[in-house]
Formats: sequence, structure tokens, C-alpha cells
Amino acid sequence: MLKSLKEWVIVFIIIGAIMLIGNWIGYDIMPLDALPGIAVLIGISLAGLVIHRLLPFQMPSIAYIGILGLILTLPNMPGSEQIVAWTAEVSLLAIATPILAYAGVSIGRSWFDFVQLGWRTIVIGMFVLLGTFLGSAVIAEVILRMQGII
Amino acid sequence: MAEKSMKLWKDWRLHLVVLAIVMVAESIGTHSIPLGPGAILLLPMLYAVIIGLALYFTPLVSEKQSINAEPLVFLSVAVLIAKFGVQAGPAIPQIIEAGPALLLQEFGNLGTIFLALPLAVFLGLKRESIGMTHSIGREANLALITDKYGLSSPEGRGVMAMYIFGTVFGSIFIGLISGFLATVTPIHPLSFAMATGVGSGSMAAASLGPLIAAYPEMSAELTAFSGVSNLISSVSGLYMSIFVGLPLTVKMYEILSKKRDLKAAGGAEDVKKS
Repeated sequence: MLKSLKEWVIVFIIIGAIMLIGNWIGYDIMPLDALPGIAVLIGISLAGLVIHRLLPFQMPSIAYIGILGLILTLPNMPGSEQIVAWTAEVSLLAIATPILAYAGVSIGRSWFDFVQLGWRTIVIGMFVLLGTFLGSAVIAEVILRMQGII
Repeated sequence: MAEKSMKLWKDWRLHLVVLAIVMVAESIGTHSIPLGPGAILLLPMLYAVIIGLALYFTPLVSEKQSINAEPLVFLSVAVLIAKFGVQAGPAIPQIIEAGPALLLQEFGNLGTIFLALPLAVFLGLKRESIGMTHSIGREANLALITDKYGLSSPEGRGVMAMYIFGTVFGSIFIGLISGFLATVTPIHPLSFAMATGVGSGSMAAASLGPLIAAYPEMSAELTAFSGVSNLISSVSGLYMSIFVGLPLTVKMYEILSKKRDLKAAGGAEDVKKS
């Protein structure tokens, strides 16, 4: 646990630094301005990973991370405004770019398997994604309209 | 997971390559290609995944970097989920108001069964189509199908094919269609934000990105809704597959393939094999 905690911290510092640089180049936010925000996000991630290890429930660690972030920023929560202000300096898109850069490097290994898939798999695969995505959007749309929210 | 992948941080080559990819991708910036009444948004994250994939075939990246990159995707997704969380807290009144939609849209993830399964059967696939189309086929579903049918069964081959497809092409494809669909269909961007919780962190990022880029004034709300949708999917997704998705797929497959076999009256081969 301690060993992986140490490794998590170092890895998060590296990832955080890459995100700060992307945030600067792509969204013109100086790294120093975004530093408190990224530090908070990393702290929440770490806490979520640790809670996941300590609690016996069969919940994915990202669920703990998401719930923790949500609780900390609930209205009336002490310090929530500060957390919201800090993390607002970190663009979501700047977080997403390194994720997909790592993903790109990682999927290289699957490329040869991918090109061996037949054309039917590719076509069906696209419809699987389309169906999953559009299905949810349509249901959400119907209910939001019924409620008069949109 | 982190115990097996020790010394991830020591892979400086990987981190420098990713840093370089990020710098190039962010410098290129966002571009919009008009397509009919809508537009396809090209975002830095899209260049990043393509450059990363291409670099695998250069001496810059070796098998080792590629293996190490996988847990790093997970850890960087953790930061994204934290960002989802802190956007969701302040929006809790809107989230509660939109609660019914957020919960019920989870059933929309079954849309693949109604859209992709008939197509798979039409294209002549057999029980592979069950593995392929019962869900988007990420890790949890791979485990579910393997557990139930075995990886070398037709169902197992199907889910494996979908897993490979989604791994390589998923975020690229969903990133391209999400912005396009949001600009051409009458469906509200908020509904699409709720739809981004498909059960994969990188696909969530790839599908939310274009929505934020297309509707920057709504970015906080879009992120909050997407975050909650992802949260619900990550907690309930597997159970949804076990109790609803997979049984429904099997049932639908049996009906659809019976119809097909009846139509192909001379197709004795099909019947014999199954």
C-alpha cells in the first residue's frame, strides 16, 4: 500500500505537470495559476484510490473519486468555493489530451489485431457505439422535455 | 494493478513522448470542419490519440512504453473523474432536478441491442453477435462474457473483437460523431452530455470534449451532467449488462436468427451449424 501510494504520488506529479503544460499551450492559463487546481484534483484522485483499497465494497475506484469531488464542492460545504475556483483554472480538455496521448501509445499494441478484424466487425462496432450513445441521448431528451427543463 | 506495474514513473521516454504529443496537439488547436448543417470538431485529444498510435510504429516507442501506458491511462482518467466530481457538486440542484433523466438514460445504453444486433444478424453473424452487441464491450463486459461462455466460444470471440475495435477506434469514432450529432440533430447538448457515460473513461472524455468546444457557454453544466452520468454508469453498468443487457440480447438474437433462418429456407447449413 505505502509503496503504491508513493508511486501513485510520483506518477500523478508527472501527469499533473503534463496537464499544466497542455493547459498553458492550449488554453492560455499560466501553470502557476492552475497549480492549486491540479493539486486539488490529484489529491481527490489519490484519496479515492486509497479509500477504494481500504473499503471492502465492490465499487470501482473512480466511483469513490467522483463522489468525493462532488461532496467537497457541494454548496455550503466549507471551502467548496475555493476548490471550485481553483479547479476552474484547469480546462477539462487539457486533462483529456494527455489521457488520449497515453491511450494512443497503449493501443499501438492492439493495432495488428485491429487490422485483422473483418469489415463486418468494424461496421457493427460503429453501430454499437452509435446505438449506446444515441440511445441514452434520446431517452434523456424525452425526459428532460417532459419535465420542461429544456 | 499498481503493484504489478512498478516503477511506472521511471519510464521517462514514455512521459517525454506524451509531453511532446500534448504540446504538438495543443499547438494545433481546435478546428471545425463544416459538414452539411453541422460540423465535425477536431480537438487536440483526437490528434493526441492518432499521434500516439502512429508513434508506436517508430523507434521512439517500444513495446515497453506501450505496456506502461495502459495503467497511466487509468491514473490520468482518475484526474478527469475528479474534475467531473468538482463540477458536479455546485450543480447539485440542477442534477437533482434532472435526476429522472440521468437515471433513466442508463437504459439508453441498451440502444446498441436494438441498433447493432439486427445489423449483425443481417450481415450473417451467428452467436458472435451476442458478444459483440450486448454492450460497448469494455473490460467489465469482457470479463462477464468470458465468465459465462468462455473466451474461445463464439460469444467470447465476438466480445473480444468488439473490445479490440473499441480500444483502437472507440475514442476516435465517438469523438468525431458526438460533436457532429449535437450540431445536426435537434437533441439538446445536455442530453448528449448525459449520454457520454458509456462506461469508458477515455470515450467519455472524447465524446464530452466536442460538446464543450461547440457550446462553451454551457461547459460547466455539460461537464457536471456528464460526470454524474459516468458515475452512474461506472457503478451500475455491469449489473445492467448482467440483468438486462445480456439476457435481452440473447432473447433478441434467438428471435432474429429464427426469422433469418426461416427466410433462408434453403440455408440448411446455417441450421446444422447452430
